Order: sequence, then C-alpha cells, then structure tokens
Amino acid sequence: MAAAFLLLPVMNGDYLYTIQDNSVFIKGRTFMVDMVSHYGGWVTWLSCYLTQFFYHPWLGSTLIILLWLALHLLTSWLFNLKGKWSLIAFILPLLLMFNLLDYGYGIYYAKTPGFAFQPTLLCGFVIAGASLVKGFLRLLKVHWADHPITSGLLCALFFALSFTVGTWKLDNHRSAIITTLTDKNFKHEMKMYRALDDFDFEAVLNEMTPSTTAQPHNHTTAPPTNLMVLYKNIALMHTGRITDMFKTDNCGINPYKQDTTGIHISQLGAPLIYYQFGQINYSYRWAMENSVVYGQSFRNLKMMARCAIFNQEFDVAMKYLALLKHSIYYRKWALEREAWMTNSTLFIQHKEFQTISPLLHEDINQLDNDEGRCEKYLLDHFSDLRRPTSSLLEDVILCLSLWTEDGYAFCIHFYEYVQNHPNETIPPLYQQGAILYGNQPDAPITTTGFKFDATVSEQYNRFAEQYNQLSSQNLSPEEMAARMKPTFGDTYWWYYYFYTDFTIY
Amino acid sequence: MKLNKFLSIALAAVLLAACTHLTVPDNAKQEARLPRIYPDYTEVTIPCNLCPINFAVQEGASEVVAKFTCPDGGEYIYGEEQNVLIDEVEWLHILKASKGESFQVEVFAKTGDEWKSFKPFNVYVAEDSIDSYISYRVIQPSYVAYEMLSINQRNLTNFDEKEIYNNMAVSTEEVGQCINCHSYKNFKTDNMLFHMRQGLGGTMMVVNGELRKIDLKTDSTISAGVYPAWHPTKNFIAFSTNKTGQSFHTKDLNKIEVQDSESDLILYDVDKNEVSIVSNMPDELEVFPTWSPDGKKLYFCSAHFEYKNDSVSKETEMIQRYQEVKYNLYSLDFNPDTKTFSHLDTLYNAAAIDSIGKSVTLPRVSPDGRYLLFAQAEFGCFHVWHSDADIYMMDLQTREVQNLKDVNSPRSESYPTWSSNGRWVMVATRRDDGNYTRPYIAYFDKQGKTHKAFEVPQKDPNFYTFFLRSFNRPEFMIEPVTVTPQEFTKKAKEDAVKAKFAK
Repeated sequence: MAAAFLLLPVMNGDYLYTIQDNSVFIKGRTFMVDMVSHYGGWVTWLSCYLTQFFYHPWLGSTLIILLWLALHLLTSWLFNLKGKWSLIAFILPLLLMFNLLDYGYGIYYAKTPGFAFQPTLLCGFVIAGASLVKGFLRLLKVHWADHPITSGLLCALFFALSFTVGTWKLDNHRSAIITTLTDKNFKHEMKMYRALDDFDFEAVLNEMTPSTTAQPHNHTTAPPTNLMVLYKNIALMHTGRITDMFKTDNCGINPYKQDTTGIHISQLGAPLIYYQFGQINYSYRWAMENSVVYGQSFRNLKMMARCAIFNQEFDVAMKYLALLKHSIYYRKWALEREAWMTNSTLFIQHKEFQTISPLLHEDINQLDNDEGRCEKYLLDHFSDLRRPTSSLLEDVILCLSLWTEDGYAFCIHFYEYVQNHPNETIPPLYQQGAILYGNQPDAPITTTGFKFDATVSEQYNRFAEQYNQLSSQNLSPEEMAARMKPTFGDTYWWYYYFYTDFTIY
Repeated sequence: MKLNKFLSIALAAVLLAACTHLTVPDNAKQEARLPRIYPDYTEVTIPCNLCPINFAVQEGASEVVAKFTCPDGGEYIYGEEQNVLIDEVEWLHILKASKGESFQVEVFAKTGDEWKSFKPFNVYVAEDSIDSYISYRVIQPSYVAYEMLSINQRNLTNFDEKEIYNNMAVSTEEVGQCINCHSYKNFKTDNMLFHMRQGLGGTMMVVNGELRKIDLKTDSTISAGVYPAWHPTKNFIAFSTNKTGQSFHTKDLNKIEVQDSESDLILYDVDKNEVSIVSNMPDELEVFPTWSPDGKKLYFCSAHFEYKNDSVSKETEMIQRYQEVKYNLYSLDFNPDTKTFSHLDTLYNAAAIDSIGKSVTLPRVSPDGRYLLFAQAEFGCFHVWHSDADIYMMDLQTREVQNLKDVNSPRSESYPTWSSNGRWVMVATRRDDGNYTRPYIAYFDKQGKTHKAFEVPQKDPNFYTFFLRSFNRPEFMIEPVTVTPQEFTKKAKEDAVKAKFAK
C-alpha cells in the first residue's frame, strides 16, 4: 500500500489530476441516462464518478488503493490463499496499477470514459460476484464450495456476466509506463498546463526553470518540449517579458519524433493556448472537437464556458456552467463565472479578462483553417497581423515573426514599431532581429537610420566573426553551437543559426 | 412475525405517500406577469395527440405547483421540486377535454416561505393531430471532427426514442463513419434512405422494405448523392452532388462557413440503378432539390458564382468571396413518364433583395402544394451556422413571401419541414442557446397562419439543458422505421452496388 501511495499521489499526482481533468461526471439524470444507454454504461458511469476524486490525487488514490486491497482480500479468500501464498493475490492489483500508469500521453487520447477505474471495477465485479456465490454455497454447506476449481469456474461465470454491465474493450494505447514514471517533460507539461489554466504565470515559468540550463547540442538534462516552450512564452507574454523569449530556453523538441502522428498540441493544450492568445473561436473549436472525439471533460467544458463568456454568448455559457455546477469540484469555479454574466464589471476587472483582452484585434475577422497545427497557425497568424491595437499585440507580432524566422514580416513590423515609438529605445531583441535580417543577402531591411545600441552592433560583429572563424575550421553545426553558446546563447542570432530542430506536432 | 410487521409498516408508509396529493396554495401573492418556464409552452397551440408538455419553472423557487384547468372544469395539479411533470394518463384526459379549445395553466412558486402565483396562460389544443414520429440525427455541434452519431426516431405521442442507426456499430479506431441526410418517401418508412460516408461508405436505401446499399458516385458526377428528395409517385430520387469544404472564422460568432465550391443536381432511377444529370449549368451551384406533391415540379436552390481568379484554387476563392454566394429559388417542370425536365422558372430572386441580397436554402413544399417553406439568410448554403437565418414561406399561388415571425427567433432557424397533413411545421433552431440545434414545432392553421413554435417535449424538462448534442434535420414520419439497427449494420458491412450513369 505504501508503494502504491508513493507511486500514485506522491510521484504521479499531476498525472492523476490530468486524468480527472480529461474526464467528466455530472450529477443528474441526463448524464446518467446518456451513459447507461450505451453498452457497459453502468460501470462507465461509476468509473467516471470515482475518477473525479483524482482532483485531489491522494483522495482518488486512496479510493482505488482500497478497491485493490479489497480485491486482494477477496481473491485470497476465494482461492483459499493463505500465508505466503496470499502474495499471489497481489498480482491482480499490481496489474491494475500498472495499467493505470501505462497511459503516458495516452491520457489525452483515451476514448473510454472513466478508463482509470473501469478495469478495477470490472475485476471487482468478477471477484466479488464469485465470492458472493462461494459464500452462499458455503452457507448451504455444499462440500465443493471451497474447491479452487469451483472458484475458478465462478470467476469464469462472472467474467462472462461482466460483459452485461461493462466493457473490457479498453483503449488501444501504446505501453507508456516509462513515460509516466520517468519523463520529466511529460510531468512539466501537466504542471504548466494547470498553472496556465489558473493564470499563474510565475508557476509556469518556475516549471520551465529546471531545463533552462539545457540547450540543444548541450544536453545535460532533457531539453524542453515544444509545448513547454509555448507555455513558457505565453507566461512571458502575459508578464511583460516576451522579449526574453530567446534568453530563456526557446529550443523545443518533439517529445516523440519517431511517432509524430501520435501526439499533437491540438489535443494536449490547444484550447487553452488559443485562449491565452485571444483566439477565442479557435479555442472553442478545439475544446469542442476534442470533446467530440475523446469524450467530454471538465477541461473542455471549462474552456467552452470561458470562450462563450468572452464572446458574450451567455446562454450557451450558462449551459456549460450549469453542467459544471453539477460537479463536485468545479461548482465554485462555475458560480464565479456565472456571476460575471450578471455583473460584467466583475469580469472586466478579473485577471482573466485583463490578461486576454489586449490580444484581441477588434477589427479583424478572417476565414481560415489551422489544419490541426495550433503552434504553426499562431506563429503565422500573428506574424501576418498588421496594425496592432495594443502594445502587447505589437510585441507579440514582432516576437512571433522572429520565432518563426519570418524576416520579411519582422521587418514590416519593425518599421512600424520604430515609427510608432520615435523617441524610445528599441528593445535589444528587436535590434538583434533588425541587424540580422539587415545583414542577410536580399535583405528586406536596411540597418541605416535606426538608433541601434553600440553594444548590440558590436556583439553582432563578434558573433559574425566567431561564426565565420568556426565555419572555416569545418566544425559541425553542433560543435559550433556548443562553442558559441556560452557567449551568444541568449541572443536571437544563436537561435536563428543553430536551432534547426523546430517541428510542428 | 417481525418481518410481517416491518412489511406492514412499509406498505402503510407507501400508501400514505401515494395518497398525499398536491394542493394549490391559497395565500399566494399574485404576480402580474407570466411565469418563466422552460420549455416555453405559454400560449402555444399543440396537437391533440402530443405527449405531456412537462416543463421547469425558472423562478429560483424551492417548490412549484401548477394547476391545469380544462374547459370541462377538470382540474389537475402537478409539481415536483422545480418541475411540472404531468401524469401521462391524466394528460390524455386533459387533451381530450381541451381538443379544439384550450386549457389554462396557473403556476405557483415558493421562494423562502412565500408563495407567488403568476398570470395564468393558455395552451390551445388543435383539432389536428401530428404525425406520430419524427427522426433526427443526434450529433455534437462540432466542426470537422465527429465520433458518435446516430439517427434516432422519437414517438411524439409519448417519450419513446429509439436508434435507427448508430455509426459506432461499424466505426473503428482507424476509420470512422459519418451518417447523414435521412429521408423518407411520402412520410412513410418503407422507402427511405440515409448516407454513410468514409468507412463503409454508401447510400443506405430501403426500397419497398428491401435494404440496399448503393454507391451513387459515378465518373460523370462530381460526388455521390448528397441532399435527397424522393419523388412522390415514381421510384426516382433527386439528389444534389456537392464538393463541400469548411473554414473557420477567427472572430465572427457564426464560427464556421460550410461552402460548396461545386454542386449539381442528379436524378437517381431506383429501379434501373441509374444516375442522370438534372442540372449542371456552368457558374451555377445547384442544391437542395425538393418535389411538388404531384411530382410534376422540382424545386431547388442555385447560386450564380463565377470564379475569377485562376491563381488560386476554387476552394480558396470560395473562401475569399464567401459573402458573395447567394442562392435563389428555382423550379423545373418534370414529366414523370418521360423522365424529362423543362422550363426553368425563377421563383424567388433572393440575390436581388435589397442592395446586398439574400440567400435561400432548404425549400420544402406543403403537402397540398400551396406553400413553400425555406430558410433565408444573408449568404451561403449552410444556414444552421448562420445566426441570421430565418424561416420564410412563399404562397405558390401569389408568390408572396412572408417571414414566419412566430417560428423565428434572433438565432438560427433552418431545415423547415411539413407534417403529412400540412398542419404542423417543424424547424431546427438554435434559439435556446445559439449553439445546440433543437426541434421546434408550430401549428399552421387552415387560414395559412403559423402559431407560436414550441420545443418538442421531453420527459425531463431539463433534458435539453444538460444534453450536449444537436438534433439535426428533423423529419416527420407517419410510422416508425422497422428495419432494425442490426439489419442496417449488417448491410453496411457489405460492398455498395455501383450506380450506373445514364446520359
């Protein structure tokens, strides 16, 4: 039990919380009827009920561990396993725990509602049913009641009966217990999502810290995933530090390069990412699409309610909030937002509105498609945006055009920026960008006439000098990156020349 | 002995509870307004064979009571927490006693220790009955993704609902299946169809009770059959063929545009398994065929659209100019014996309305052939996603068009359809919340006037609030579909028979 507690809430609390966040349970007849009307619905309904307690990972873990303990005791009694033989009865709970931890990124893609508890409940049905009949046979003093073959046959019988109350057809997912237990980025992503969902940007940045020392070509620890980089930049954006984007680790990796079809940001966090960028319709869209394909969830209901409030679609917002009000742990969240709709001042003064609204570009409606590639869409969309309506948006379009290395778009934004801020110092990052693109063949910008800091220009000259020197030594790009990183690792130039691993997933 | 005693006490308790009857509070404070109830059944006209109109009282009360008073003086009182749930047997008495007249409903709500009574409202019970069944596709209002879809049939005289077909019966993790466009010949189910797309694709047809799976795509047509219309007397089905795409609004609350970059009309001869072209005019996007009740006219919509930019694909240009696509209403004469079409008539030039024009979709002719319902919005062909879409009606004798204000709301109304007796109009509307489509029904009296629309009742009046799926394409049927889901599933797994193209 201690080991189970260690493995579940202590080591994998965020994993369990995320399972709960991607599940849903609504009190009331409609939800129940909707669930039980499908094959195996009763066990699904009960599984969803129990899954919600992973909101507090220790509570959900206690429940499932108690169920496993009960399974162990019943199995021991059913098969007369005593002394050291009773250890055999631990096999089933161990397999169930393995199964729970075996999903990894599969928790975002599992289509079986309540998958965390389903196998345990079905095994419980089989073992408890067989035990009940055995107990009855013993009461009747049937002499073969205690025979292990009788127990085996009873288990087989209840296994067959279990198909009437539940489904053993669980999700096909790649075995990923290693990811669950050892992949730190997987855990960071879950923590960062939760912090971003709470608009706690410092917590997002703190979560990024462990890997900021790592860079591609210099891996003392695993580099961050693209999703972590995206989360980090959102946090920087909303804390007025977006121009620090390349000073912090901006070189993300795809968590599973070999399996690019398997994991997509669209499912891992697109609704929240789009929302944080003020793309309310796309946020709503992906919350809806994900709930259609992978089942309804608290996470998606919250996002759809948020978007509907932002769009002032209050009737449909009330619908989602009505559902959340019928949950145990999201009732308070829903009541707070319900109050926003009757008193808009509360909403306008709230951190959520204050944070997002500067990113809304009031004049622009476009008809387009993100092709399921959230990050690419955001980079292209903001790089192409003209006439920003807030200073935050101004920074975002400059930084994202640098991020996506769209020199032409950056230069247009840079000219506009300089015109709009005639007597202000140009942030060093934008100077770095302008100098870089101004020194390119077929440069879309000339570097004359701008007030660049002498230190930035000198730094670029040193960068160019060292780059040319190392190139002449026929060093590999990896070696060049490693050599130049201590001096130039926090510059845009280093990112531009040495980060070639950017993949969209 | 102890067990007997316990059972006796329990039985007495149950009987006592059963004998407890609701009473109307006699000291209620009177409110001069109507109560807020959902669904809204105030001052509506309902068919004489409808199921009970259970409703929730949305007054923030801890307890509610509603008194139903019939023309014969009969009184019935209901109330269960915030809901008014009507006894199904007593409901039959209420309908019978009120047929051709109305019953009155007075609602009482308790807030704190105080009871309030609200202005009573009437519910009119028409002499006319309604078709016993409707069917609809149950789908989440998603954009590109889909997973579980079903076509269900609902008995309107009670609350029974059954699946006609559920795509999950054949969908796999790798290949899903979309189902759509269920359609019936003359409101009966011995001739019906629906489409299956992607996995195990084909058009599932029931022809005189016999199940068939047909592939309507030919080398000479741009797609398989899409929007269908059964000919009322012959074994023909008119379809549109469409190349459909979707794109997304970044800010507009309509959120999505569904557009046809190409579309034509075809006729499928069921007996010969042959497809022929009805209309494939250049620069015209023909769609939504529907027959007159005598089968001698085919009504349809078409948008004139000339592609001008060779440097981009048709789909891209369509997205760029999406607001220019305006559909008009046309008819073609049809000779069922020779299977020939003639005389194109422009019934309604919607594109010329005002200075900006309108767009007409989804025409449906009344069973007596006199009226034609359609949906109208500013542009485009997919009005379920257009919040400005409303239902209009054309008098085919005078060609006058009127907005059916009793049927419409500030939100999207689309997919109008008639009951078999022409006395009831059903629409798919998003009036409840703007996002989830619900079936609403309105009485259409002999004078050609529509009455206030009401939502199809559910046993649990809060059902629609908590149900996160839409009811698309509601259709009337006079009888249930008798082919079982299992039979459809078995047929779905077979290869589709290819239709031939006839020049």
